Amino acid sequence: MASLEERIDALTEAQLRHGLEVFRSKLRAAEAAYLNACVHCGLCADSCHYYRTEPALENVPARKLDHVAAAFKRHFTTAGRLVPRLVGARPFDRAMVRAWLDSVFGRCTLCGRCSLNCTIGIGLPRVFRAARAALAAMGLVPDDLQATVDNSLVHGNNMAITKEDWVDTVQWLEEELQMETGDPGARIPLDKQGARVLFTVNPREPKFFPLSLQASAKVFWAAGEDWTLASDPGWDLTNYGLFNCNDEQAGRITQNLVDAMERLGCTTLVIGECGHGFGSARWEGPEWLQRRYPFELCSVLELMDEYLTSGRIAVDPSRNPKPVTLHDPCNLVRHGGVSEPQRRVLRRSVAHFVEMTPSREQSFCCGGGGGQLAMAAYKDRRIRAGGMKAQQIRATGAEIVVAPCHNCIDQLMELNKEYTLGIQVKTVAEMVAEALVTAGPSPSEGKTTT
Amino acid sequence: MAMINLDGRQVELNPEGFLVDPGVWNDDLALALARQEEGLPALDEQHWAVIRFIRQYYLENQAAPMVRLICKTTGLPLKRIYELFPSGPAKGACKLAGLPKPDGCV
Repeated sequence: MASLEERIDALTEAQLRHGLEVFRSKLRAAEAAYLNACVHCGLCADSCHYYRTEPALENVPARKLDHVAAAFKRHFTTAGRLVPRLVGARPFDRAMVRAWLDSVFGRCTLCGRCSLNCTIGIGLPRVFRAARAALAAMGLVPDDLQATVDNSLVHGNNMAITKEDWVDTVQWLEEELQMETGDPGARIPLDKQGARVLFTVNPREPKFFPLSLQASAKVFWAAGEDWTLASDPGWDLTNYGLFNCNDEQAGRITQNLVDAMERLGCTTLVIGECGHGFGSARWEGPEWLQRRYPFELCSVLELMDEYLTSGRIAVDPSRNPKPVTLHDPCNLVRHGGVSEPQRRVLRRSVAHFVEMTPSREQSFCCGGGGGQLAMAAYKDRRIRAGGMKAQQIRATGAEIVVAPCHNCIDQLMELNKEYTLGIQVKTVAEMVAEALVTAGPSPSEGKTTT
Repeated sequence: MAMINLDGRQVELNPEGFLVDPGVWNDDLALALARQEEGLPALDEQHWAVIRFIRQYYLENQAAPMVRLICKTTGLPLKRIYELFPSGPAKGACKLAGLPKPDGCV
């Protein structure tokens, strides 16, 4: 396949027009208004982790927006057509395509912190997503990002794991769980028809990091939850369609979750610890599919909070004595609206919890969001931009960073190495599982409880 | 373009330190990658057992093996794999075995 640069060189006028049409079609009235609304006050600069770690003009969110707005004005506004120079309108040509690619794929994690700190309230991520959609329509998604989407479309999960390998790993983890709990009845159910909960995971867990999946299973075991995993597509909660911004592909990936819910007759779809997976399934999915889900949906963080609040499971925080801080994944917290359940869970489960500054919706992106982790070409920028998060972590003095998102976890592990932070990175479920003191639903002899 | 020096010869790496051409891999390159990319001064028998299995699996399947299979084949417990390769099975072990970077959240 031709390189991205070669594909840009080979763009035809018809392809450029098609890109523009797709761009326009993704802008609702509000977003079109945003494109004329920026007053260049510059407040967004300091809100952006790219700018804060490399104060260059191209890293200012307003500058990134300018590239997109200039083409919009040139092609979709009267003043832009008649007096382009007066209104800062520029044509959508190959140079502009390169500027868009560099801005919206290469220097943005769609984290939305700029938007929150914008004096006008411009929804920059929405506009940037429309620009990414235009590039996607012209076949200009970076190859490694598109490969991750293609895996989901072809194999039903973003790492192309076969059903045989997935099932084999689940069965292995079930044996491990039985050994860990001392309960031969501890199960990791697969395809349990009519289970209350369908639990979904990130393929990174079974492929390389299964301890978080085992920890979640242990929590379900302790709570006596009626749950299941799906063996066929619908077990993977990720959706990189959120990042390549091809809504048709994103919708097909969401459909896997809906199909699994309908196939297994479950009541509640539970999204595992994942920022973009939660945002995709909870907020974008119904838009992509143009239908309401005929089932309930929540994050596993909300479920664990409910278990602890209702006393369905009990924990002993002294089992997690090291100082712990919490990372706020952008798609879960700033965009997703889930910020307190994980905090309530951690305050109960660990002895020493310390917040980062700033936190919650004002938290800085780890630098791995927006599909950055999948795009090798921008690796150096990703690590540099992650410097803000590294600073935040170091200031807490924490030895463990809990991140309810596998994408963030991978980035944080790299930051740990690059910035020598000396931390461990864990999921919320791993902390809860470590602190559990609840007897399981069917205790057997020899099982230790306290 | 990132490079790694092997006996005076420059071998091309992608920006994340994975071999651009997985076909050029050999033991010396694994060792050079271990030093430059993983900060491991040497590789012991357990490292090699993991690396050789991943390499073999990749040549047969054009994919990285599940960590379950790595444990099963080498007889090493999961926690030992993470100790051996601080960057994990993907950015650690698979990189040293000369695989391209796996897709997904890694």
